[in-house]
Amino acid sequence: MARKRRLSWFHVAAVAIALFIALPLYWLIASSFKGAGDITSAAAFPPHPSGANYVNAFSGYNFGTYLANSAIVSVATTAAVLCLGTLAGYALGRMPLRGKTAVMTALLMISLFPTIAVVAPLYLLMRDIGWLNSYQGLILAYTALMLPFAIWILRNYFLGIPKEMEEVANLDGASPLRTVVSVILPQALPGLFTAGIFTFVASWTEFIVALSLNSADRYRTIPVGIALFGGQFTTPYGTIFAASAVAMLPIAILVLVFRRAVVSGLTAGAVKG
Amino acid sequence: MRFISSRLIPVAALATCLATVAGCSSSGSGTAAGAAQSPGGQPKGTITWYANQFGPTSTDVRKTLITAFEKADQGITVNLEQAPSDTDTFRSSLETQIAGGSSSFDVYNGDVTWPAQFGKAGLAQPLNSYLSSSFWSQFSPGLVSSLTYQGKVMAVPIFTDNAFLFYRKDLLAKAHLPVPTTWQQLQSEAATLQKDHLVKYGFAAQFDSYEGLTCDWTEFAADAGASSVNPAGTASTIDSPQAVQALDFMRGLITSGVAPSATTTFQEQQSESLFTSGQVAFLRNWTYAYADSNGSGSKVAGDVGITNLPTFAGQSGPGYSVTGGWNLYLNPHSKNTPAAVAFMKWMGGTQAQTIIAEQGGEIPTVASVLHDPAVQASNPAFPIAAKNKLNARPSFVAAYSKVSEAIYTNVNAALTGSVSTQSALSAASQQIGSALSNTGL
Amino acid sequence: MAANTLERRAARRGWVFASPALLVVGAVMIFPVIFSVVMSLSNVSVTGNGIGLSGITGANYSVLVHAPRFWHAVEFTVVYTACTVTVETVLGTMIALVLERLQAGRGWMMALMLLPWTLITVVSAELWGYIYNGVYGVLDAITQAFGVPGVNVLGTPVSAAVAMGVADIWKTTPFVAIMVLAGLVMLPDDVTEAARVDGAGAWTIFWRIRLPLLRPALAVAVMFRILQAFGLFDLPYVLTQGGPGTSTESLALLGYRVLFNDLDFGPGAAIAASTALIVLVVCLAFLKVFRAQVGEQKG
Repeated sequence: MARKRRLSWFHVAAVAIALFIALPLYWLIASSFKGAGDITSAAAFPPHPSGANYVNAFSGYNFGTYLANSAIVSVATTAAVLCLGTLAGYALGRMPLRGKTAVMTALLMISLFPTIAVVAPLYLLMRDIGWLNSYQGLILAYTALMLPFAIWILRNYFLGIPKEMEEVANLDGASPLRTVVSVILPQALPGLFTAGIFTFVASWTEFIVALSLNSADRYRTIPVGIALFGGQFTTPYGTIFAASAVAMLPIAILVLVFRRAVVSGLTAGAVKG
Repeated sequence: MRFISSRLIPVAALATCLATVAGCSSSGSGTAAGAAQSPGGQPKGTITWYANQFGPTSTDVRKTLITAFEKADQGITVNLEQAPSDTDTFRSSLETQIAGGSSSFDVYNGDVTWPAQFGKAGLAQPLNSYLSSSFWSQFSPGLVSSLTYQGKVMAVPIFTDNAFLFYRKDLLAKAHLPVPTTWQQLQSEAATLQKDHLVKYGFAAQFDSYEGLTCDWTEFAADAGASSVNPAGTASTIDSPQAVQALDFMRGLITSGVAPSATTTFQEQQSESLFTSGQVAFLRNWTYAYADSNGSGSKVAGDVGITNLPTFAGQSGPGYSVTGGWNLYLNPHSKNTPAAVAFMKWMGGTQAQTIIAEQGGEIPTVASVLHDPAVQASNPAFPIAAKNKLNARPSFVAAYSKVSEAIYTNVNAALTGSVSTQSALSAASQQIGSALSNTGL
Repeated sequence: MAANTLERRAARRGWVFASPALLVVGAVMIFPVIFSVVMSLSNVSVTGNGIGLSGITGANYSVLVHAPRFWHAVEFTVVYTACTVTVETVLGTMIALVLERLQAGRGWMMALMLLPWTLITVVSAELWGYIYNGVYGVLDAITQAFGVPGVNVLGTPVSAAVAMGVADIWKTTPFVAIMVLAGLVMLPDDVTEAARVDGAGAWTIFWRIRLPLLRPALAVAVMFRILQAFGLFDLPYVLTQGGPGTSTESLALLGYRVLFNDLDFGPGAAIAASTALIVLVVCLAFLKVFRAQVGEQKG
């Protein structure tokens, strides 16, 4: 009997979602190839495509420097947040601490506070430490800003791992730190990936703290750099979109490289039944 | 293994907090270094100029100015620090840094509406003791008073900006219409052009809910004989029949279809793009628009006419143009005030002003430069600017930003049709009043 | 006895593990947060020499309470957050389910899906501003092709809010989707298998079995989305400037204007503290409703 190919909700949903995400992205990239005179064109393809905006972003502005700075700050912040956050998330999730609720609530309350109000005192703090216009100042600020969320996520994933895992490792004689690193961590890879990608993206795209702390050109990050494009009365859409398209690439590559971490899932049969 | 007692953590955090608070309570690195009243020798050293881009984007006139200055004054080097192009973002960055005692820049560009606000907050160093009255006499008295807060001059004006009416010469010729001198005439001519399918839209301006709307509003209101704040800066005058007339006219431009309804979302960029793509016949915009609409990216290059703004029927002379432009301010925490002042003085002098006018395409602030025939010939906008009737926004009050917000949010609401013009102006009046008396949000 | 010492040693170890992170967060953030709160309760003056605080007063809060503009911003932000977070949660879960089932091309689909999220928020807002432009935006061109003339999406209060919501949802749904997907991937298969063998349909399996197990992951995702949504700033700043009038002025935009445009640090700090308070209440209420308990360990 021939099997009928039905168009299930699954296929329709997949296509609709892909279109919803992709179309504005297409518009961003297509418009990055438009010259200044074609910016009002709503045609599907740019009338006279040219790479002038890309050239302008790198030569007219120091975009190469901003890319490098963003990369340094984001990678360092992600590394710091993952190291510190994993330890803290594990402790708050699986170790018999007293006052866990208070700590989690305090972390929540700290991350609740609007960044706009925090910026001026944060500037004063960094000024007093002497870390304005530096990598370490911004990395420290970002780490502090993003740890609460990372700890919440990581704690959640640690909570989801069956308790038996540690007992098995303990019986084998492993020290607590080793238990964490070699037994628990691999199980929580999806959580690590989530926290990592969140921190990376947040550092990559953060604007107001970077604007205040690192205003010198040498240490500017991408968002602050893009804010310099144009003049008082001109918003150069083409150049902004070109720079943003370039800025999207590293993360797209990162996600492709690490996609297995999310997709792999629990190792079958580790501690079932 | 050593452990950190669970009680030590909050103590450590509190200690850090107290240490930093103690360090910050004596915040700021003191006022301007060095008395520069009569500098012992030639000022020298390196200074940093924190400036946004002005003039044509293709050539950076700031770098031209720096090169010329360093040649003229051999002892001082100027570093250019690029600032955000959005004015509000730029201002927030300045405020955070200056209030935080930063000396990482010595002079900075600032909007013409900031002297009172920055003067009151101590974010700029008064210049009376550094620059003598002979320096200030080269600017018009009205200009100098716009820089003054409580008797202290807060900035050096480096260029001024005016608004003009731009129009499509080719369309007017095709329809055999003269250049309009009143708003009503402009509206009917625009409607005619649209009816004859010569152009899609009749008129574009900047009606978005932002500072630019305060400019446009001040012009229309002044044309009708209305104002927003009384000369003493103590009361609102915006709720008047003349103001209602002006606002009704602006709204009428939209409801009659002469201006697209999207005008209430336009800033300079959008209105200019609409004009350079050939879709609108008349445009109210700043000086830069002439070079821009005749430039390489424009579809109407060569067909653009420029003239003074129109007024309402029954009033005399051309319509009012608001004064815009940018000033140079001195950072109170500058570590090299003599050099900074030397730079500012040069920027307000004839050589710099000529560069700004001829290569930057901006209206110079020094009267003698503006009337120089060579300068006048360099830009068709300058002779027109000389005939402009000027009006200033009420930025002499320290609470100007709140006043302006009250104006543009309510005028925008009326222009989108969300509220009636009368209730918008009443609301604006009440909010301006509370801003001026420092009560309310 | 022995168990007690073991327990205490484990607890100390726990603090050793947790303290580096907590120290960093505390040392950097406690001063700014406390400073802000103190600022909101003082008479603040901004001078070239810094921010001067004097006295303790409730005047800043009283100004807020009597300002209709503040209450409008609260109302707008709360309603906007509720709507967008709901849509994002539903849409994000759907996307996660789709992604979970995909065999070929899952990595590519995930990379595509994450791209909007990696755009700088201001650039995303500029992109949508460009799309929504009332005379040369591509949205206007599309609607005109369908015969609807002159759509000015950003020109009326309700449509501007909806337009902002669409831009927001486009950008941040991937965030929820990734969180849910990571949660889905960690769900044990045996319960689902058992249910399927028993003959339960796909919808029942999802609603009755998988969704309750997803609750912790969803709770964190939604809670932090609420937190972020309350900080709505870039979209109104770029798209509408809080307009028409002040109809789309969010709490964060109002706070920014009061702090940086008006240099009114006292009321500005009060707005920030009030925002934090409101979000805290909302989050705690949400956690209660979702019945996700803090400090519970599965086992």
